[in-house]
Amino acid sequence: MNGYYAKRILSALITLLIITTLTFVMMRSIPGGPFTRERPVPDEILKTLNEKYNLDAPMYEQYFDYIKGLVTFDLGPSYSKIGTTVNDLIISGFPASARIGLYATILIVIFGIPLGIISALKQNKPIDYLVMFMATLGVTVPSFVMATLIIYFFAGKLGILPSFGVTSPLGYVGPVLALSGYSLSFVARLTRSSMLEVLRQDYIRTARANGLSEFKVIYKHAIKNALIPVVTYLGPMIAAILTGSFVIEKIFAVPGMGRYFVESVGNRDYTTITGITVFYAAFYILMVLLVDIAYGFIDPRIKLGKEK
Amino acid sequence: MADKRFVFIKDNKEDMEASRPSLTYWQDAWRRLKKNKLAMVGAFTIVMVLLFGIFGPSTTDYSYSDQLNKFKNLPPRLEIFHVEENLNFHLSNDYNIFLVTDKGEVYDRLEPDKNQRDMINKIYIYKYGTEDNFEEVVLDFSYNLLPTKQGYDYDFTIEYDGVVYTQPNDKVFNRTFPFGTDDLGRDILTRVMYGTRISLMIAFIATLVNLLIGVVYGSISGFEGGKIDEFMMRIVDIINSVPLMLYVILLMVTFKENDGLTNIIIALSTVYWVSMARLVRGQMLALKEQEFVLAASVIGVPKYKIIFRHLIPNAMGPIIVSMTMMIPSAVFTEAFLSFIGLGVSAPQASLGTLANNSLSGLLTYPYQLFFPALTIAIIILAFNFLGDGLRDALDPRLRKG
Amino acid sequence: MSKILEVKNLSTSFYTHMGEVQAVRGNSFSMEKGDILGIVGESGSGKSVTALSIMGLIDHPGKIKDGEIIFNGEVISTKNNEEMCKIRGKEISMIFQDPMTSLNPVFTIKNLMVEVIRRHQKVSKKKALEIAIDKLRMVGIPEPEKRIHAYPHEFSGGMRQRAMIATALSCNPKLLIADEPTTALDVTIQAQILEIMKKLASEIDTSIMIITHDLGVIAETCKHMIVMYGGMIMEKGTVDEIFHSPQHPYTRGLMNSVPRMDAAAKERLIPIPGSPPDLLNPPKGCPFSYRCPHAMEICKEEMAPTYKISDGHTSACWLIHLDAPDVEGYIKGCDIDAG
Repeated sequence: MNGYYAKRILSALITLLIITTLTFVMMRSIPGGPFTRERPVPDEILKTLNEKYNLDAPMYEQYFDYIKGLVTFDLGPSYSKIGTTVNDLIISGFPASARIGLYATILIVIFGIPLGIISALKQNKPIDYLVMFMATLGVTVPSFVMATLIIYFFAGKLGILPSFGVTSPLGYVGPVLALSGYSLSFVARLTRSSMLEVLRQDYIRTARANGLSEFKVIYKHAIKNALIPVVTYLGPMIAAILTGSFVIEKIFAVPGMGRYFVESVGNRDYTTITGITVFYAAFYILMVLLVDIAYGFIDPRIKLGKEK
Repeated sequence: MADKRFVFIKDNKEDMEASRPSLTYWQDAWRRLKKNKLAMVGAFTIVMVLLFGIFGPSTTDYSYSDQLNKFKNLPPRLEIFHVEENLNFHLSNDYNIFLVTDKGEVYDRLEPDKNQRDMINKIYIYKYGTEDNFEEVVLDFSYNLLPTKQGYDYDFTIEYDGVVYTQPNDKVFNRTFPFGTDDLGRDILTRVMYGTRISLMIAFIATLVNLLIGVVYGSISGFEGGKIDEFMMRIVDIINSVPLMLYVILLMVTFKENDGLTNIIIALSTVYWVSMARLVRGQMLALKEQEFVLAASVIGVPKYKIIFRHLIPNAMGPIIVSMTMMIPSAVFTEAFLSFIGLGVSAPQASLGTLANNSLSGLLTYPYQLFFPALTIAIIILAFNFLGDGLRDALDPRLRKG
Repeated sequence: MSKILEVKNLSTSFYTHMGEVQAVRGNSFSMEKGDILGIVGESGSGKSVTALSIMGLIDHPGKIKDGEIIFNGEVISTKNNEEMCKIRGKEISMIFQDPMTSLNPVFTIKNLMVEVIRRHQKVSKKKALEIAIDKLRMVGIPEPEKRIHAYPHEFSGGMRQRAMIATALSCNPKLLIADEPTTALDVTIQAQILEIMKKLASEIDTSIMIITHDLGVIAETCKHMIVMYGGMIMEKGTVDEIFHSPQHPYTRGLMNSVPRMDAAAKERLIPIPGSPPDLLNPPKGCPFSYRCPHAMEICKEEMAPTYKISDGHTSACWLIHLDAPDVEGYIKGCDIDAG
């Protein structure tokens, strides 16, 4: 069993290395250097800059330098914001992204899962139709549309929410709602279909045939099984949400990591792009890993180390 | 005496066959799909949206890039002041007066007379008619602004032909620009139709490429099995452990020099085949154990023929379902990318770029966001409905019921 | 001997969006205490639905439309789910076809068994565990003290079915319904499982109803049997009598399609042509008439009454009627069964 987890962690590290390498190579293969501007930078300055950031060195040397830095959690300097490091950007941006993400995750878990269960138990009843109607809308309307609608109605028409910034508690309502909308709907739908699937299973019939109360059949025997696919989805979802949705941060002017990422994409700030990508990926892989471990507690079959 | 009914039926076989018609897999699936109302609504909507995108742009009087400077930011529903038979004024948010027929056709804009502009008192004079023979239209915006004009329940007046109007007295649908115009005076209907075409084109091409890569990759992996399978699936695992949106963005950044449309297609096509590959591999693993595969290989049918003639057709159900679901997610991703400014480049427009462009004027001109967003939602919804229906129709596990 | 189970005129239908599927149509039968009854028929003949009706486990959109089920002198078909919960697992137990999917994968055998035992008997956890281990030993699971902590996926198919039986018998029920208990198992395991069921039943005085499509299982295990087709009972009686002298063409068809040890070497198996009837629009007359080698006009117009061949043997076939043409092997002119 420990061997299984060790293997998982090792493969996660290898994956991260591959991602870093790929991102690094991709960034270096972009035509034009990081200091190519619309107004050409004088050659001399360019030379000093290149020297300063060691950009004249051969590619493999730069790569090894980067990996060396990575091992010590140093993601290098930002090319566009002179004087700041990528670490600084992440440290300043991550908390805001994470806070919104955390609230959204909580919202998703405490509403999405119960709504899905209720919907499954009341299949083809009005409440099921209502929940599924909302959930279908939720997965249909893109997050940026949802965000703009929230601004339009709640900030614009009704004026009860600030239209940007997260300086007050009310400021969180918009971004959190917009960020959780899709996933909440998805989780509700997933929980519902998973629950319906489980309720059709033979072992549920066995539980009923053994005279267990309906309450126990559903809340003990069905839910534990039904949550397995939901947990699988939650891992990557939490990672994606916690690290911030670029669009939501852009629309609501949240000073988060996603905003820096979008900015760095515009500025061709390669170290920042690579750094944030590696950070995202590491976070994502970590979440997936955590979910795998959590999985072992829910689904005993996984302990055999069998990978499907 | 003997009851006639107690006589053997000579040929009982005919009835036997009639007792239940046997249907092939596809006939049965089609029968089920036809019964599913939501799926049929979805299919119908998809056809309509396709027609809308393909033929729509050629039915309007404008092209997606025509800029009619005169007619900027016109809403789809006009608030008008009815002043004369077949003459209505529409006062826009940026103080332009548009001339509208009773039916709702916008045909001209009045220019304020520069010489008679009173900036301090906020009074504007417009001329209606020819250079020599005109009526004056006086727009007075000074109410509740100047200290001497406080306490009114209206903010402005329009005076024409001696009559003073304080608020619009009618509403008509904009017949000239049914969805309104944007900030550059482009017809939003045309642009939404064109954007639909671009978005769907990107989605279809990306899906087809993903399908191709996924099916080939998955069937090789599943059919070969063993070490090859393990290696190929390890690659899939690695790709799967990256937030895909991130990679699409990185790819888009890397190809930045090319044309946006090509970039987005390449980016979407190279990333999303993974789930398809997994699905096909799973199907292959299950199918290759079956006797008909053994039978085929025993009589010497070559491998690729077994895969393409025997295995893939049998896995077609799940493949089609997953393909139907891939299209809306491609539309989604494309809209998302365009929205953060990585999509197709202007003046080309996808639904995402249209939504993005409308952001700046959202509070004043919400309709500019409404139509592209609604179209995205309709497309995604329709494909979801059809996909759900197809899954129910093609899922062999439910066939018994 | 008194009756443990009486089913009177049972009709169960499923109300799907395509219409009413009449899975069971007006069946009556009864079971003596200590009996082992086999119900045989092909899939879709209504045998499982009959069992689920007895258990009160017909799920939406299914419904018991008509009839009465009397268990141990008590009408149970009118009981609500809550009342039935107290009977299920305690008085009547049921085991299912596929042991691979019938045990909840996320709980240990101990967890599953102790839950059922404590649900129906007021015993401590420790005592419940003892009962569970004891039952597992009875069904032949080696080292039950250890194995009880295992998860279902750590058991083989045969072991799982044993665990299912142990759970089902943990409260010493009066009736055990086994729905195709051996279909999913290897032939060697099949015999063992049947043997265990028979042995246990006599030890704890449980009557057994076995549902199967395998005549071999019936011949080996049961005293009485019921042959079902298209939701109706075609023939019922003692196993000896029916095997010796089947009085329904469908029963004969079933028997001809099973290999026999005593058959001559060249004798071929004869399949029954055609497929089972559509229960959405069941034929007016006898459901088997469309596949019957001796179908008559009347068969398609009207269902045959139940003829009493002998004391323990009835058949619902027009061939028994006096006016019917002679067919070898059929006893003609019996009385119509009143009960």
